[in-house]
Amino acid sequence: MATTAPPRPAERPSSHPLDAVFSPRSIAVVGVTATPGTVPYDIFRNIRQAGFAGPVYPVAPGKRDIDGVPAYRYLLDIPEPVDLAVIVFPAEVVDRAIDHCVRKGVRAAIVISAGFREIGPAGLQREQRIRAQCAEHGIALVGPNCLGVINTDPAVRLNASFARKMPHAGRIAFLSQSGALCTAVLDYARDKHIGFSKFVSFGNKAGVTEIELLEYLHQDAGTEVILLYLEELREVRRLMEAALRVARGQPPKPILAIKAGRTPQGAAAAASHTGSLAAEDAICEAVFREAGIVRVESIDELFNIAVLYAQQPLPAGKRLGIVTNAGGPGVMAADAAVRLGLELPPLAPATQEALRKALPPTANVKNPIDVIGDARADRYGLALRHVLADPGIDQVLVILTPQSMTDIGGIAESICRLAAEQGAAAGGQALPARKPIACSFMGAEDVAEGVRILQQAGIPHYILPEWACRAMAGVQQILRFRAEAIDRPRPPSVDHQAARQVLAAAPAGYLTEDEALRVLAAYGLPVPAWQLCRSADEAVAWAEAHGYPVTLRVASRQIVHKSEVQGVALDLDDAGAVRDAFQAIQRRVAERRPDAEIAGLVVRRMIPAGYELIVGAKRNPVFGSVVMFGLGGVLVELLGEVSFALAPLGPIAAGRLIRRVRAARLLEGFRGQPPADIEAIADCIVRVGQLVADFPRIAELDINPLLVSPPPVGHQVADARIRLA
Amino acid sequence: MNREEIEQRVKKVICRVLKIDSGMIEPSSHFVFDLGAESTQSVELVAAFEQEFDIELEDDAALAVKTVGEAVDFIAQRVA
Repeated sequence: MATTAPPRPAERPSSHPLDAVFSPRSIAVVGVTATPGTVPYDIFRNIRQAGFAGPVYPVAPGKRDIDGVPAYRYLLDIPEPVDLAVIVFPAEVVDRAIDHCVRKGVRAAIVISAGFREIGPAGLQREQRIRAQCAEHGIALVGPNCLGVINTDPAVRLNASFARKMPHAGRIAFLSQSGALCTAVLDYARDKHIGFSKFVSFGNKAGVTEIELLEYLHQDAGTEVILLYLEELREVRRLMEAALRVARGQPPKPILAIKAGRTPQGAAAAASHTGSLAAEDAICEAVFREAGIVRVESIDELFNIAVLYAQQPLPAGKRLGIVTNAGGPGVMAADAAVRLGLELPPLAPATQEALRKALPPTANVKNPIDVIGDARADRYGLALRHVLADPGIDQVLVILTPQSMTDIGGIAESICRLAAEQGAAAGGQALPARKPIACSFMGAEDVAEGVRILQQAGIPHYILPEWACRAMAGVQQILRFRAEAIDRPRPPSVDHQAARQVLAAAPAGYLTEDEALRVLAAYGLPVPAWQLCRSADEAVAWAEAHGYPVTLRVASRQIVHKSEVQGVALDLDDAGAVRDAFQAIQRRVAERRPDAEIAGLVVRRMIPAGYELIVGAKRNPVFGSVVMFGLGGVLVELLGEVSFALAPLGPIAAGRLIRRVRAARLLEGFRGQPPADIEAIADCIVRVGQLVADFPRIAELDINPLLVSPPPVGHQVADARIRLA
Repeated sequence: MNREEIEQRVKKVICRVLKIDSGMIEPSSHFVFDLGAESTQSVELVAAFEQEFDIELEDDAALAVKTVGEAVDFIAQRVA
C-alpha cells in the first residue's frame, strides 16, 4: 500500500453507468470472510494490495475487522456513500445483498458468486431475480459467476478480482465470458510483458454484456485494442451493430475475438459449461467478418495480433522486409508471408547497393536480407536501418537464430534503438517514417535475454517467424476492413401486399411451387412466366401461347421432392408431348402418393442450361434470418462451399457474399466464358434477404437453382421451395 | 425439553461456533447473510448441534436450514 495520500480516482466529465464499475470512488466487498485462500477474502485483499485509491469497506457479519479494517455487519451500516459493491456471498443470499445495494444507492455491483444460470433452473431463477432488481434500480450488474474486473489506470488501480497479481498497465482491453481463462491469460501476459488497460470477466452476463463493454471501451482513452473471449452469443444483432460502431467509428478500434464452441463437440462442452447452445459456426464466422471482428483460433494468435497493433505503428501497406541471419527460416517466413497475403518486394536499387557495400560478399541483399550467421549487433543494425529507410517497405521482420558468434542481447538492444529512433532525425541517417518492427529470435534458452529486452521495449516477439507473419496479416485484415465500402441496406421496391396474401393463407409446412413462385415474383425475383394448370388442355394452351419447349411439374404441399415421385417432365416440345406428360405425371403421382393433395401441374418454358447457383435463407434461433449463397452443380456441391450473411443486407454486402465463395470466380468469366451479371445476382440476394426479414414466418427458403444462362436469358429462378413455420 | 430451552441452547452453540455475540441473534437471522457463517462453519454448526442435543441430523436436510428459527424447529422435531 502506498504511504502517501493516494490520488483520487479519475472521473469522467459525464458519468457513464459503467464508470462505477471501472472507476468507483468507494467499494464495499459484501460477504468477506477472514479466511485467506477463499475467494471472499482474497478479493478484499487483492483490492487493497493493488493500491485502490478510495475507501474499501468489508461487509462481514459477525467480524470486528478484516486485516485491521473495521468491518460492517450490513452494507446499510456503512456511513459513507458506496459506488461499487463486490458481492462474494453464496448465491442463495445474493438477492438480499442486492436489495441492500438498492437501499444504499450503490451504482454498480460485481457478483463474483457462482450458483446461477450455469447450475440449472433454480439458478436461472435466482439470476433473473437479481437481474430484475438491478435493472429496475439502474444498478450496473457485472456477472454473476465471474472472476471480476481490473482497471490498471494508475489513477484508479482497481483489482476487484480473484486474479493473484495485477497485470502491467497497457493499451489492450480483455473481455471474457470464462473466468478461469482470465487467470491463465493474466499469467501468460505477465510473462510476455503484455499490458492491459481493462480486464473484465463478465460471466453469465445477466446485466452488463459484451455489448455495453465494447461501447464503453470504444470511448475509453486508455484502450486501443479490444480482445473478446465468447462462448455464447445471445443478442447477435446488437453485438454486430456495436462491433461495427467500434471497428469503424472514431477512433476505430479493432476487436479480436475467440468464439469457442467451433466443433459440435466444443459446442456441446460450451453448452454444458455456460448453460446455452453454441451457435452454428459457419454463420458466426461470416457475421463476425461483416461486423469487422477479427476471429482467431487461439489465445496465442489473439495476443500475437493485439500486441503488434497496440505496440507498433500501423503499416502503410502490406510490403514486408525480412532481415535474417539464417537462410532457412528466412525462406519459411517468406513463404508464410506470401501465403497470408503480404508482399515481399525486392529492395530499392539504392538500398541494395548500400547493403552490398556494407555487408560481406556472401550476404543476400534481396528480400529476405541474409546478414549471414556471424552477424553481430553492428551488422544487424546497419541492415535494419537500410531496410527501414527503404520507401518500398512498410514493415520489417527481424529473424535471429542463436549461433555461437551471435551477440543476442546486443542485437536486441540495437533493434530497440532503431525502433525508438524512427520518426525522429537522430544522429546518423534519419528514419523519417515510423514502421512496425516484429522479431523472431528462434529457440528458447539462448535467446531468452534478447527476448526480454525486446518485450520490455514493446517490440513484439514471436517464437516462430510464421506467427509474426500471421500477426502482420491480422493487422492487414483490420486495416482492410476499415477501407471496405460500408453496406447500407435500402429496401428494394417490392409488392409486399401480394406476398403477404399468399403467405397469410398458407398453413405451416411447404408452399406449393405455384405459391412459392408467386411470393418470389412479388419480391421482384426473376421468375419466368408460369401457370398452374388443372388440365392437359390448359397446359397445351399456355405452351402454344408462350412457346416450346416447356416443363411440367407437380404442385402439391405434400410433395417436396418432385423428382422422387417422377412428378417432373422436361423438354416437352409439342402439344402431344405436353398432353402425354401431363397424364403420365398425374398417374404416377396418384400411384406413389395417393395421400397427396394435387393443386395441379405448373407449366413453364425450359430455361437454357447455364451456371447453377443456390440462393437460400434460413431462420436460425441465434442469428435470426440468415441468407446463404453457393454454386450448384456436381463439382461445386462436392466442394460444399457456401457463404452466409444476416438478413436484410445491402448490395455491397451481397457482393461480398458472392465473392467469398471461391468458385464464384467462374461467374467473372472463366476461361473465355462470358461473365455473368454479378450485380443482378447480388440484387436477387438482397431481395431474398428482404423477404425473409419481412416475414419471419419463413423458416426456410431455397432457390435451387438460380440458373445463370448466357445473354439474353440472364439469370432465372428455375426451382424454389419455401417452408413456413 | 421445551422450545424455549432448545432456542437458548441453539443460540449458545451458534455464539460458540461463529464466535459472535448473542445480541446479534434473532429467530429470523440468516446464518450466512446476518451471522456471517462460512461454508465450513455451517458443517461445524451441524456437528455442534448433534453433540449439544445428542441427536443425529441428516446432512442435506440440516444444511438446507437457513435461519436460526428454522434450526430451532428442525431440532425440536428431533429431540424427544
